[in-house]
Amino acid sequence: MSDMALPATPNQPRLSLAGHWVSQILLPVAFAAVVLGLWEGLVRWYQVPEVILPPPSVIGARIVSAWPFLLQHSLPTAIEATVGFLIAAAFGIVLSVVLVYSRWAYVALYPNVVFFQLIPKIALAPLFIVWLGIGSSSRLAFSVFIAFFPVVISTLTGLNSTPPDMLRLCKALTAKSWQVFLSVRFPYALPHIFSGLKVAVTFAIIGVIVGEFITAQAGLGYLVLFASSQAETPLILAAIAMLCVVGLVLYGIVAGAERLILKRYGH
Amino acid sequence: MISLRGVRKTYASPAGPVEAVAGVSFDIKEGEFVSILGPSGCGKSTLLMMLAGLEHASAGTIEVAGEPLTGPRRDAGLVFQDATLLPWLSARDNVLFPIKMMRLEREKYVARAEELLRSVGLGDFMDKRPRELSGGMRQRVALCRSLIHEPSIMLMDEPFSALDAITRDEMALVLLDLWARHRKTGVFITHSIREAVLLSDRVLVMTRRPAVVVADVAIPFARPRDESIQDTPEFNAIVAQLRGMIEHSIKAAA
Repeated sequence: MSDMALPATPNQPRLSLAGHWVSQILLPVAFAAVVLGLWEGLVRWYQVPEVILPPPSVIGARIVSAWPFLLQHSLPTAIEATVGFLIAAAFGIVLSVVLVYSRWAYVALYPNVVFFQLIPKIALAPLFIVWLGIGSSSRLAFSVFIAFFPVVISTLTGLNSTPPDMLRLCKALTAKSWQVFLSVRFPYALPHIFSGLKVAVTFAIIGVIVGEFITAQAGLGYLVLFASSQAETPLILAAIAMLCVVGLVLYGIVAGAERLILKRYGH
Repeated sequence: MISLRGVRKTYASPAGPVEAVAGVSFDIKEGEFVSILGPSGCGKSTLLMMLAGLEHASAGTIEVAGEPLTGPRRDAGLVFQDATLLPWLSARDNVLFPIKMMRLEREKYVARAEELLRSVGLGDFMDKRPRELSGGMRQRVALCRSLIHEPSIMLMDEPFSALDAITRDEMALVLLDLWARHRKTGVFITHSIREAVLLSDRVLVMTRRPAVVVADVAIPFARPRDESIQDTPEFNAIVAQLRGMIEHSIKAAA
């Protein structure tokens, strides 16, 4: 039983905890700090007008002074992006399942789905306003429209990634197709689905922001547009910083869910 | 008893029909262990899939106990080249996977799964996931999985060919032992002559695609067997005879 004496080797060399801390957290933070420091120094040294490019310290101060205001505008953006993402995820996954299980649906729909992706989707945003009005439904619909495609592509790839021998085994065991889907194909697809969801969550935010640029009376996209009309560059950048936070939090939630689920279903 | 008569398999391809198996006829008796030996890509796997009822023969008949085989047979245990375990399940749950797919009562089979794992030396690894097991251990789990639902036949498609030479020799002994305990009918696809002779009651030699059976050689060693038979002159004589047949068939096909 010689092979039993051999430990299963992990796929990648693991860093020590300290090494992990340095490479994964300290290094990127230090790099960002250096860039911010350079920005601060150069802008002050060359006396760049604030309206062109304020230094990070001024943006920071603006975030503090406008905090309640920023928070108030972050909420609709975050809510609409979340709802848009959830609808896109559900719709994308269901559509992929239909495409995988129905040859007819695949032949009829898939080329059209790909075709729609070739259209520069941002250009369609005004159409959504025409169709659905200036309320949140048009922003949501647009957000779903641009976010669902990565979910479809990654879910399709995932559902087709089951090893053929595993499917043969299931067939030989006369498993029902719902059993194969729930016990084999869907779990096999999860890593792929999550990579699609991580792209989709950032797309969903882009969709909402573009919608807010056009129609909204609230939200961070609206705030960016409003501040630019006032030539309030620190506020523009403060709103963008908030947007980054919203994006990071939403992405973090998806990535966290991925970690949890892949711990259970990981390969 | 499994009977194949004039079994052919032809695939459609853009360049026209491709014949994978060309008129194969042989019988496998109940409890017999038959190896099918032949060069890579000679249609051996296609033949195995037909025996499992997963592929239909384009012509000819396959009968199991006098009944024509028309679809997947639940009484077959399949083992593939790759262990194809579900990465998120423990060794025990992977062994029990067929029970779940066949919608049988899990509790009735847990003890059997554990007994099977213990019999292949994995008693301490039942809760480990595939990534925590070596290649040979994963293939042992796959062997146990093929036996969990008490199939009447084990169909094995080059199950050890992805393993290193030492593990491979060891796995042949694990299979020899497992087969001695369970005495299922066995069909074992391989391109290792020594493995075929060590394990089998009969060795069928197939030619390059399209596959036909060119020799049916009975292996005279008594059971139970162990690795020591590999050092006997009789063993090596049969190996040499089979090698000669394969080389001859390759030259004839060229």
